[in-house]
Amino acid sequence: MGELQSALLLKKQLAELNKNPVEGFSAGLIEDSDIYRWEVLLIGPPDTLYEGGFFKAHIYFPKEYPLRPPKMKFITEIWHPNIEKNGDVCISILHEPGDDKWGYEKACERWLPIHTVETIMISVISMLADPNDQSPANVDAAKEWRENFPEFKRKVARCVRRSQEEML
Amino acid sequence: MAESSEPQKIKLTVKTPKDKKDVEVPEEASIKELKEIVAEKFGTTAEQVCLIFAGKILKDQETLKGHNIKDGLTVHLVVKSGSVNRTTQETQSNVSSNTMSQPSVTPSRPTEQSPSSPFGIGGLGGLAGLSNMGLGSGNFMEMQQNMQREILSNPETLRNMMDNPLVQSLMSNPDYMRQILTSNPQMQQLLERHPEINHVMNNPELLRQTMEIARNPAMLQELMRSQDRALSNLESIPGGYSALQRMYRDIQEPMFNAAQEQFGGNPFAALVNNAGPLAGSANPQAGQENRAPLPNPWSGLSSTQFVYCRLMKQGVDTTIRSPGSSSETRTGGENRGPPNPTTPGISGMTGMMNSPGMQSLMQQIVDNPQLMQSMMNAPYVQSMFQQMGSNPQLAEQMILNNPLFASNPAMQDQMRTMLPTFMAQLNNPEIQNLVTNPQAMSAMMQIQQGMEQLRQVAPSFATTLGLGTIPPPLNPAPSTTPTSSDTTSTPTAPQPATTRPGSDAFSNMMASMLTSLAGQGGISGGSTQPPEERYRSQLEQLTAMGFINREANLQALIATFGDVNAAVERLLQNRPMI
Repeated sequence: MGELQSALLLKKQLAELNKNPVEGFSAGLIEDSDIYRWEVLLIGPPDTLYEGGFFKAHIYFPKEYPLRPPKMKFITEIWHPNIEKNGDVCISILHEPGDDKWGYEKACERWLPIHTVETIMISVISMLADPNDQSPANVDAAKEWRENFPEFKRKVARCVRRSQEEML
Repeated sequence: MAESSEPQKIKLTVKTPKDKKDVEVPEEASIKELKEIVAEKFGTTAEQVCLIFAGKILKDQETLKGHNIKDGLTVHLVVKSGSVNRTTQETQSNVSSNTMSQPSVTPSRPTEQSPSSPFGIGGLGGLAGLSNMGLGSGNFMEMQQNMQREILSNPETLRNMMDNPLVQSLMSNPDYMRQILTSNPQMQQLLERHPEINHVMNNPELLRQTMEIARNPAMLQELMRSQDRALSNLESIPGGYSALQRMYRDIQEPMFNAAQEQFGGNPFAALVNNAGPLAGSANPQAGQENRAPLPNPWSGLSSTQFVYCRLMKQGVDTTIRSPGSSSETRTGGENRGPPNPTTPGISGMTGMMNSPGMQSLMQQIVDNPQLMQSMMNAPYVQSMFQQMGSNPQLAEQMILNNPLFASNPAMQDQMRTMLPTFMAQLNNPEIQNLVTNPQAMSAMMQIQQGMEQLRQVAPSFATTLGLGTIPPPLNPAPSTTPTSSDTTSTPTAPQPATTRPGSDAFSNMMASMLTSLAGQGGISGGSTQPPEERYRSQLEQLTAMGFINREANLQALIATFGDVNAAVERLLQNRPMI
């Protein structure tokens, strides 16, 4: 029953996103048969270092969605303080609900059942524009972002270029 | 795909960060063909077109069918520019679209709204409060404006004030003006909510212009004239004109008296003490002075006041949004009022209810069912009903803070248990109609009197009916007519003044309200609207969020009086973590 519900909810969201897509990303399924595994293509937000890039990412929803958060992973290589080198996205709204045992995040900043693919993607897009160096997932990138911005920029530009080549 | 003979066209929406266009393509088309069509439509070349659908970039050799692209769907388009200098170029061209990619941006039109409340609307903070309570578009908004106008046009005080060299020097010093404005608590709140307003505050030019307008009689005249239409609108509602007259007499004067008492005739005089250090260079401390509240012009407050205050705080946003007329000119005028009496203004609201003028206004309303009816039909009253319905705490507080109940815990308890029903009743359009219908009202009164009789004759029976101990005997005078409407609209409008001729009247009202509710219950055998009906939209919301257990959702909603947030909280707590 719960499984069915999450699938229904995701199907609804997918249909809606295909009909009225939201700025900045496009969403579909990795395989048409599995509603729990999404593929999104993020269009590098304008006026950021990532502008012009096309970043592919996968979102994996648990069967308990929306009570528990999905996981998101960039497939395209991307250099960003809040994205691990293996592509895992680290933003607070994707963290399991409840209070943070380390006290960094309030419960309201973490996963809430009201989040949808759209709100997640909007968070990720704004994260690209504005990294949070308080809790870096890619420590090297965060350090570079803080201390050696030109190098950071160069690395990002390389990612953007590669992402374009990959797509063609 | 070879079997199809004639190409059927499908319509696709192509969306770029900046705009979107519809294109028609044959159903069987390849991506390459689609790209050519799109390129033509967007004035670019097929090579530069990059189409994205369902998380995938579409490649030339693929087909629409292969991607399951059907009629009515939307495809993302990114136009690639020359590979070398693309970043710089696009940066420029995309500046405008930037906001779109970050949907969490600012509320619209902040600057325009902002000036409407520096100085707490020129000393009429309390009246501004009227609009806080959902009156934004209603007649009372106009009434308020007219009152401001009246005050503004009080020539002597204003001219004195404005001609005072000290005031002039103050006003021509944007730094100091900014301090005054920011030291106003209400303004601070405003700034917190709308950081964009800072921009206004930091723009000396704008501030100075505003001051200029305030000082310029011609501009002010213009302002006055634009308010005339508002006035005539108000006059056209039945009884509105005399109500206005009374309002003028009873509000404007006490307000000014109070202001003058405090400041010794010159509203800015209090600043004089402070002016020494300030005259040379703007002293940052100087702005603090204005915080002292004006005395309440009408005094005689009851504890209900706190509820009003609370309401007003909640409504601050509404006020900011409300002014329909050109707010810049208005501000100019408003600034001429006494400086910063925001806080007292709010409390003045309650005071206003107690003023004899208001009471007679209320009497008038009571005597004039038509006026009553039109008031009930006004949009703000409707919205008040809704607000009450959707915010049970508010109603609860309002009722519990009432002096009648404050001293009577048993009564409070009872009230609390009755509240859900009461709220339900409020949401019920039938009840709202009822209130506007004089015949229904008199029928209600009969029921109520019957209940009262019953209570006297057989008190124990009445108690079992759930009536409990009803305070003082009800009087069947016409003043009971607006009963339920009064409670519901208490925080909104001056109406509630009927309830104020004494606490007796209020207890009457409460009692009759209780009685009528109980009477209702007795007749129809329970709440007229089942909870599923009542909380339908909330239920839908919960379901959309993925809370699938309808029964649990309903329970949570009932327990939280329909507050979706609280219900979610509750559901999450109760649910065993998976």
